[in-house]
Amino acid sequence: MDPESRAWVDALAGREGDRDAALGRLHALLLRAARFELGRRRGQLPGLSVAERHDLATQAADDAMMAVLARLDDFRGLSRFTTWAYKFALLEAATKARRMAWRDRELPRPPEDWVAVADPDGRPEAAAEHAELLAALRAAVAEVLTPQQREVLLTVVAGQVPLDVLAERRGTTRGALYKTIHDARRKLRAHLAQAGLLAGEGVSGR
Amino acid sequence: MSLVDGLLGPEEPEVGCDDCFADLDRYVELELAGEDPDAHLPGLRAHLAGCLACREEHESLRALLADDAG
Repeated sequence: MDPESRAWVDALAGREGDRDAALGRLHALLLRAARFELGRRRGQLPGLSVAERHDLATQAADDAMMAVLARLDDFRGLSRFTTWAYKFALLEAATKARRMAWRDRELPRPPEDWVAVADPDGRPEAAAEHAELLAALRAAVAEVLTPQQREVLLTVVAGQVPLDVLAERRGTTRGALYKTIHDARRKLRAHLAQAGLLAGEGVSGR
Repeated sequence: MSLVDGLLGPEEPEVGCDDCFADLDRYVELELAGEDPDAHLPGLRAHLAGCLACREEHESLRALLADDAG
């Protein structure tokens, strides 16, 4: 662990120096990261006032601070402490922003005509291959996926609903939903590979 | 990402969201140091290709460190 990171950890753990001062520095660091993230997402939150943006950043920094302190023992010094801490604030701010952007909105049902929004690259031969692949994909989605896999995959991929938003509505986690998507994709890939539509397919995951 | 790519996801084996988050800080520092992070953390690049939420946070962390370096 580099000396600066060691100093952060020791101070936050109360082993050395002024812990309260270290907590204050940490909160300022996390608030900067949360504001940075919300700034990048300004376009997704057009109705948010300056005061609301400030509140959201503060909430994200507060929640990130709790997470950082709860997981301080997990920090092994494989990166700088500040980089490690930043990711908690970015996650909190991004998740809150996504959820706020979808607040009061009903989630779209997976579109019946999701194939219609597909996008071939313009070459005639590519368009033909693309059409064949899409037709097979449409059939595979209907035939080999469970209803839950179908709904989650289409809601996120075709409906473009953020994973965090769908996770919140379903009372689950981003990781659990992504596992559902991952398993659905593996089934689709295996099905298409069996039909000879995916060359050199090695279907695996962890 | 095209609809087909989104439905099929990455071809390579990938980690999940929790493992991605656990290693994201190290991954970005390796990237910024010019090293190949996939050699150290296999499966994370594939996950970033398949997971929009984790990809956005990866891009934000890179951008924030770049901003710090300024």
